[in-house]
Amino acid sequence: MTTRTVLHMLSPRPQVSPFDINMAVDAGFDMVFPHANVNPDQVYALTQDIIFSRGPSGVKRTAIFIGGRDIGKALDMLETAKKAMVPPFEVSILADPSGAFTTATALVAAVEKQLKDKHGLEMKDCRAIVFGGTGPVGISTGVIASLAGADVTIVDHLSLDTAMQLAEEYNRRCGCNLKGTFASSGASKAWLVARADIIFNTTKAGIQVLDEEILEDAKRLKVVGDVNAVPPAGIAGVKPRDMGTPLTTAPNSPGAVAVGPLAVGNLKYRIQNAMLRDLLQTEKPVYFDFHEAFTRAREWV
Amino acid sequence: MEKPYILHMLTTEKNLSPFDVNMAQDAGWQVTMPYVNVAEDEVQALVQDAIFSRGPAGVKRTAIFIGGRSPEQAIKMLEQAKASMVPPFEVSVLADPSGAFTTAAAMVAAAERELRDKFDAELAGRRVLILAGTGPVGQIAAVLCAKAGCDVTILGRQKEKSERIANLCNEFFGQGQTRIRGEGNDKLPELLPTAEVIFATGAAGIQLLSEEQVAAAPKLMVAADVNAVPPPGIAGIDPMADGAPLEDSPAGAVGIGALAIGNLKYRAHQGLLRQMRETDRPVYLHYDQAFTLARESIRSNR
Repeated sequence: MTTRTVLHMLSPRPQVSPFDINMAVDAGFDMVFPHANVNPDQVYALTQDIIFSRGPSGVKRTAIFIGGRDIGKALDMLETAKKAMVPPFEVSILADPSGAFTTATALVAAVEKQLKDKHGLEMKDCRAIVFGGTGPVGISTGVIASLAGADVTIVDHLSLDTAMQLAEEYNRRCGCNLKGTFASSGASKAWLVARADIIFNTTKAGIQVLDEEILEDAKRLKVVGDVNAVPPAGIAGVKPRDMGTPLTTAPNSPGAVAVGPLAVGNLKYRIQNAMLRDLLQTEKPVYFDFHEAFTRAREWV
Repeated sequence: MEKPYILHMLTTEKNLSPFDVNMAQDAGWQVTMPYVNVAEDEVQALVQDAIFSRGPAGVKRTAIFIGGRSPEQAIKMLEQAKASMVPPFEVSVLADPSGAFTTAAAMVAAAERELRDKFDAELAGRRVLILAGTGPVGQIAAVLCAKAGCDVTILGRQKEKSERIANLCNEFFGQGQTRIRGEGNDKLPELLPTAEVIFATGAAGIQLLSEEQVAAAPKLMVAADVNAVPPPGIAGIDPMADGAPLEDSPAGAVGIGALAIGNLKYRAHQGLLRQMRETDRPVYLHYDQAFTLARESIRSNR
């Protein structure tokens, strides 16, 4: 009998996400095993428990997934797990907390593509604003866009402190260059929108962050990307399947185009599925986080 | 490769019942994923997480099982799960806390069969006593009987508790359409002379009805007992009994034991799990559907 493939799914949350479990099963893992309520300080011991019971050929059919909601915690857990490997007893790892890495890379790569195709610009030429910028997908979007060269500001809807602290934390962690601010009123959003080349919306589902009135203030807008799939659209005028579709709700930025949530979602699905499959394809173990996800997203768009 | 069948199994308890996991595996669910200590308010997020990652074809091979201990909580969770679906992203859901829905359904369906076979009587209109009836199986047996037109009394050690559970059954499960009563055990001598069906749904190893009490029930037709550990909950019922005469009954009553109920429960439970796998449209299953399946299983076994 061939050794069955096993994916150990670790999460600091009370439950491992059913979304990720479905994805792992559909990616072909024979056995998907949930480990919920995992503290980061348990990761070292758990990892060594995982690597030592199947022999050098068994580890090639074993992998670890790191989920949860907190992307900093997930990156720490990934580092700890890497350090716990004892070659040749070592297994591949994918970190994708809240699906944030795969969603954010799909979003940024799709927007980057439209920027190039429709405007002949690169990320480094642009100022980007991330609404909902302090959640897992928002932070990841900010980090990836910043590392791709854009001048990025993450926006919290309530707290300046939260936004600035997170910007500082992830600048330190990921070597990017985020700014943080807050916008609770239409006027403060309009002020940000007026200065943006790119707008990302990663606010939670079902909330319209930018209505048509605010979008009238967009003067130099090139591309918007919205991950909210539950009506109303997070950015007024964005439709679910938009992929470079003209944005008709920004009259003062006539060339602006949109990337919609289903276009992002489809790409995200392909990236996550492929990375899960590739965990067991290589001779040497692989460690996947948003860097790998972004490389793939860029290739695919 | 076809997508595997995934059953996401939620429980409010700290462990998922291995009984339910075995049942799901045997019904063809290839992946049975446990979620323990689930709080009621986590249901929506978990359900929406479960429905969105497999596409419209994948959701047909995905379902949710709700376990736990409390029938009331399980039904609330089932309703929340149903309300969380976003068509066409929707999956089937089965609630069966402590196996109580399928056990109660099997017990009542088996009693109905005996009434018809041995006494040419309908379930509707029967006077039913449920001994130690405040637990999950007793509650649901009371609800199924009352909805079928029986006159039902739940008995328990504390009158207040029996009344509280009877109220819950009438208002929550019966939606104001049933008239289940709750009484203390001290009322039993008064109720025995008119009782036609008696269910014992107490904890294992405790006798709830003695030989003398069976003898004091002149109208008794069917007695059923879910307790498989000696002594029987109702004196004279062997766990294997499946319509065997009760020795001490002056009226010629028959008994149904725990293992006979268990067999039928197993078939109903399997049927529900299969229905979720085979259906094209999502289904939401609880004690009503379990009762329907138990009745069908009896018909098809003739």
